[in-house]
Amino acid sequence: MTSLEFSSVKKCFGPTVALADFDLTIAPGEFISLLGPSGCGKTTALRIAAGFERADAGTVSLGGHDLSPIPAHKRNMGMVFQSYSLFPNLDVRKNVAFGLKTRRLESSVIVRRVDEMLEIVQLSGLGDRFPHQLSGGQQQRVALARALAVRPEVLLLDEPMSALDARVRSTLRDEIKRIQRDTGVTTLFVTHDQDEALAMSDRVGVMSEGRLEQVGSPHEVYQSPASPFVARFVGSINEIPSEQGTILVRPEALTIHENVHHGKWIGTVVASTFQGPSTLVDVRLDTLDLLVRVHTPTGTYDGVAGSRVSISMAGDHLLAV
Amino acid sequence: MRGRVFGRVVAPLILLVAAAFFILPLFAMMRFALQNVQVIDLRWSNLFDKWSLAPLWSAFSDDQFGRALTLSLKLAFGTGLISLLLLVPTIVWVHLRLPRARSTVEFLTILPYVIPAIGMVAGIMVIKPHARWFLNSDLSLIPFYVVLALPFTFRSIDSGLKALDLRTLVEASRSLGYGWIRTIVHVIVPNLRTAILSCLFLTVAVVLGEYTIADVLLKRTFPAFMGEYRGSDPKGGYGLAILSLVVTTLIFMIIGLVSRPKSARRRRARGTI
Repeated sequence: MTSLEFSSVKKCFGPTVALADFDLTIAPGEFISLLGPSGCGKTTALRIAAGFERADAGTVSLGGHDLSPIPAHKRNMGMVFQSYSLFPNLDVRKNVAFGLKTRRLESSVIVRRVDEMLEIVQLSGLGDRFPHQLSGGQQQRVALARALAVRPEVLLLDEPMSALDARVRSTLRDEIKRIQRDTGVTTLFVTHDQDEALAMSDRVGVMSEGRLEQVGSPHEVYQSPASPFVARFVGSINEIPSEQGTILVRPEALTIHENVHHGKWIGTVVASTFQGPSTLVDVRLDTLDLLVRVHTPTGTYDGVAGSRVSISMAGDHLLAV
Repeated sequence: MRGRVFGRVVAPLILLVAAAFFILPLFAMMRFALQNVQVIDLRWSNLFDKWSLAPLWSAFSDDQFGRALTLSLKLAFGTGLISLLLLVPTIVWVHLRLPRARSTVEFLTILPYVIPAIGMVAGIMVIKPHARWFLNSDLSLIPFYVVLALPFTFRSIDSGLKALDLRTLVEASRSLGYGWIRTIVHVIVPNLRTAILSCLFLTVAVVLGEYTIADVLLKRTFPAFMGEYRGSDPKGGYGLAILSLVVTTLIFMIIGLVSRPKSARRRRARGTI
């Protein structure tokens, strides 16, 4: 297990600043996600770590050793890509063995390692299939096995689930987390999906315009956002004018009352979205002419459009801006 | 309704006319070369009379035939090899690092097609007095043939690379410990099998069809031999032309079979598609 450290890394593409003074230390065995909107620089950071991009300034070090002079193929990092990256001319076993062949291991060791990896990703029976005979989820599991087979010091995951459907994503998410826990490999995961980042990571780094806005545990990032950007990007947010300025409130921190005299603000239900265990109710407040979103456990309030309701604060607000 | 009429009637008719346009002259050439009947006496009634391969055997037995064919095959091999060594890394580099330069490179590669070979010959004549040491060798034709084949070889490799997710495959290979050269050899080339085969086939076709430069530089290549031989024995000369066409077609069919993906071949062998 090795640490990965970015110090004051800068990277520009022409006039566009992709990374500006990017500092991040990933502890040995830690699973950290970089979360942010498209173009925020998260993939650039990962590609610099992998050696596919060169930083304009700053250093990236692995276990205390500067990686700048080391080319991508000598960095010993495993990477899983957004698009399916299996070699189309090789079957599953040969894909997984690909990285091992260049490490001059004995063939018996390679066979054993491939078997072990296929077992870890639960694809033992599919070794002789070619990539085009696999589903998207299976292909990404093979890519994960191939990346882990070389026993990398760091595992880099570049939005590996973005091309998959919701059900496969959820399964693969759990599997990646389990495999990372079992192997203990230091992992940098790049995603724009907050659910993935919150569910899988030990820590989440929220990025905006090439900078890290906040790095913290999923709980910290969600419940104690360091900036309005983090509050707005991670989870839903209501922005309500008050005496303290505009307060940022999560939908689940609001309670809806059918009695219009019970809450602080009165309004009319505009729409409600049933989400299984919970329902999101959109209410237009009378006095503020503002649409707020309230998160209610299913069964407590059905949210009939046109109903008059009142709203109160059940929890604390996150930030005042 | 209109689409159905087109599909059933017009399309096969167009195909038939095109096939006739292609096949009839070849058929006429074949009758001229291999039927031992005076041209003036060729009729539908004697379509099956007096066919003979004698003109071909006579061409084969010419002293120069073997030498010319060997030289052309050597030139085709050298041209194909150098084209691949030059083009695969260059086009990979252009795709990955200089995507904006692609259209310029594409334009440059089409120039040998636009400018007639005689233009290159004029250039060769200028350098000839200074490069006799090089031009004296029969294999000195290779660089000129590489240039002549560029419009075809570039396009076959380029379209092969376009069909791959090149960036991801290269980066996946590099992240697994393979440097640039090993990535090209172990990842790109095996996935470009069809494109490389068609590049080689087109190279063979260019080399077996090029006459102008070989003639000016006094090289006895197969096309130059055919040209000369036609003068002394027209039937044998045209027989050779037909044979070269048949061989080319066979090579094309073999390439088609070999370049089919392994899994598709296996499925076919098992009787499933």
